[in-house]
Amino acid sequence: MPGRECFETVASSPDHASERDPERNIRGAFEHGKRSEDMSAGRAAGLETLPSRPPKLVITSLTVRDFRNLAKVEIVFSPRFNVISGQNGQGKTSLLEAIYFVATSKSFRTHRSAELVRHGQEAASVRAEFIEDPQDQGLAPLVREQHAAVAGARVVVKIDGARPSTLASFATRSPVITFHPDEMALSTGPAGLRRTLLDRLSLFMTPESADHRSRYDRAVKARQELLRRGSESESEIEAFEHLAAVHGSALTRIRAQATSALLPELALAFGRIAAPDLALVAEYAPGGTTDESEASAALRSSRRRDAGRPSPSFGPHRDDLVLSLDGRRARIVASQGQHRAITLALKAAEVSVIGHARGISPILLLDDVSSELDAERTDALFSYLASQQGQIFVTTTRRALISLPEGLASHERHFPVSGGQIPPTSE
Amino acid sequence: MAYRFRTGGADLPSRLTRVAQLLGRLPGVGEKTAMRFALFLATVDESTARDMGAEVGALRDYVRPCHLCGNIAESEAPGEPAMCTVCSDTRRDSSLLCVVARVQDLLAIERSGAMRGRYFVLGKLLSPLEGISADDLPLGQLRAKIRDPEAPVKEILVATPPSVDGEATALLLARELTPLGVRVTRIASGIPHGGDLEYADQVTLGRAIEGRKNL
Repeated sequence: MPGRECFETVASSPDHASERDPERNIRGAFEHGKRSEDMSAGRAAGLETLPSRPPKLVITSLTVRDFRNLAKVEIVFSPRFNVISGQNGQGKTSLLEAIYFVATSKSFRTHRSAELVRHGQEAASVRAEFIEDPQDQGLAPLVREQHAAVAGARVVVKIDGARPSTLASFATRSPVITFHPDEMALSTGPAGLRRTLLDRLSLFMTPESADHRSRYDRAVKARQELLRRGSESESEIEAFEHLAAVHGSALTRIRAQATSALLPELALAFGRIAAPDLALVAEYAPGGTTDESEASAALRSSRRRDAGRPSPSFGPHRDDLVLSLDGRRARIVASQGQHRAITLALKAAEVSVIGHARGISPILLLDDVSSELDAERTDALFSYLASQQGQIFVTTTRRALISLPEGLASHERHFPVSGGQIPPTSE
Repeated sequence: MAYRFRTGGADLPSRLTRVAQLLGRLPGVGEKTAMRFALFLATVDESTARDMGAEVGALRDYVRPCHLCGNIAESEAPGEPAMCTVCSDTRRDSSLLCVVARVQDLLAIERSGAMRGRYFVLGKLLSPLEGISADDLPLGQLRAKIRDPEAPVKEILVATPPSVDGEATALLLARELTPLGVRVTRIASGIPHGGDLEYADQVTLGRAIEGRKNL
C-alpha cells in the first residue's frame, strides 16, 4: 500500500529515532527554530511538554459509499499533503466531509445526518484506516480502522469493529480540524464563532465541558420558560438558577483555561503569518463568572429584566474572545488583510492547542480557503502548513492556484474530482 | 393509530384485527409481532387466551398505586384503596422516606436491599420545558406524609435521576421540605460496583471524586 511506505521505512530503520537521520532533519528544519518557544508556551499554559517531534495522526486510506454525491470512492492518501481539485459541485467538499465524518461521527456542514445519504439511497458509509505515527519516540505505529455510517437518521460508529463507549470519546479519538470559508468571519463576525472555537479546544482539554454546556443550556431554557410564564414558585426558579450557576461557572472556568492555552500559540502564529512587529492579544471576556454563588445572585437579581428576553442578561452564553492589535480593538482598527491574518492565526493556534492537549498532531482539512485570501496571505498560509507536522487536505477549483513551498511539493498527491468520481490512485 | 395488514386481498376477521391493534399499543410491540400474538391467541392455545382475558380484565380492578406511597399494590376488593407490601411491612423504618420519580426506580432500589425505610413516588420530574411545574408535583401529599403524627419522617432521601430535571427536582424538594424540620439527603453518584475505574467515563469519575468520603 503506497500510503504506508513512509511508516514501514520508519519502522524498519533501526535508528529512525536518532537526530542523525538526514531526511528527518531536513523535514524538521522549519520546526527547529520555534521548537524551544513552542515548548515553553506549552508549559506556560500548563500543558505537557512534548517530545521534539510530536506523534502525528494520518489517514492512509478511505472507502466511501453513497455519501452525498460520492457513490463509490476508494483512495489512498499521501501521509503529508493531499490536493483535491475540481469544479464547484463535483464533490470536493463532500470528500473532506467524509473524512471529517469518519473521524468524528459529525459533519461540519449540517446537523441533519440524513442529508449525508446520497439521493435515492438508504444508507451512507465511510471506512478509513488511521495510523498514529509516534515519529521520534521509537515506538511502533498504531493502526486502527474507523467506520461511520448513516442509516435513516441514525449514525453508527465503530473502531476496529467494536462500538466505542460514547460518541464523545469517538469524536476526540482522531483529532481533525477543518478550516472553511465560513470561518473567515472568526475575527470580524459574531462572538458565537469565537465561543465555538473555545469549546472545540475545551472538548480536548477538559472532556466534561460538553456535559456542562448541555446542562447549562437546559437549565437556562427552563429558567427562561418559568420567567416567561410568570411562575410563582420561588424554589422552582431557584432550583434551575442554581443549576445554571453550577454549570455556567464551570463553563466559564473551562473557557478561561482554553483561552490561556490559546494565548501563547496565537501570539506565535500571528508573528509568523503577519508582520512580526504587531502584537495580537486575545482576552477572554466572560459573560458570567467563575464564582458559583456570585452567578446565582446575578441571576436572581436580573429576573425581572430577563423575563421578557429569550436568554438571560448574565452567563457564559454571552462570552466573547476579544482580540486586540497593539492594545487596540482589532474589530475597530484592523484592516481587511489583518482580519484574515488574525483568522489564520486563530486557526493555527487551535491546531497547536488541540495537538498539545491530545498529544498528537491533528489532521487538517482546508476547504477552498485560498479563494478567500490574497496572494500574500495564501503564501503565509502555505508556509505555515509546511511548518506543520500533520497530514493536510486542501480543496481548490484549480490546482494551478496553489504554489507550494519546497517542504510540501515533494509530498503532494493530487486527486481530481469530477461528478462524484475520483480516478483510482496512481503513483 | 390505524394499522393496515397486507393480506393479499383476503380480509381478516375484524375481532382478530381489533385484538392485534390493542396488542400493538403495548410498549415494544410492532405491527407484525402484534398480529403474531393475536393469531397465537386465536388459533393455537385456547386456555391462554381465556385466562389472559380474565386476568387482564381483573388487573385494573385489583392492582393500582398504593394510596400511601404510589408504589404498585393490590387491593382486597375492586375499587378499594390498595396498600403496597413496603407500606404494610411493620418492620420498615417510617422515619426514613426515599423519594423517587417512577415505580421502576423504587423497584430497582428495593432490589438492592439497602433501603430500610419507606418510599414516595413522585410520578414525574420538574420540567418547565415539557410543561411540568412545581404545581404538578404531589408536594401537598408529601408534606402530609412527613407531618404524619403516627409516623413522623426525620430524613428524606432524594433518589431522582442525575439529569438536569432530576437535579432541579431534588433542589426544589430540599428547599420546600427543609423548613419542615426534616433532614434532606441526596443519593451519591459515581463508579458502578465491579466496574473498572479505567472504563468509567470522565463525567462519572469526576462526580465520584467530588463526592468522596472520609475513611
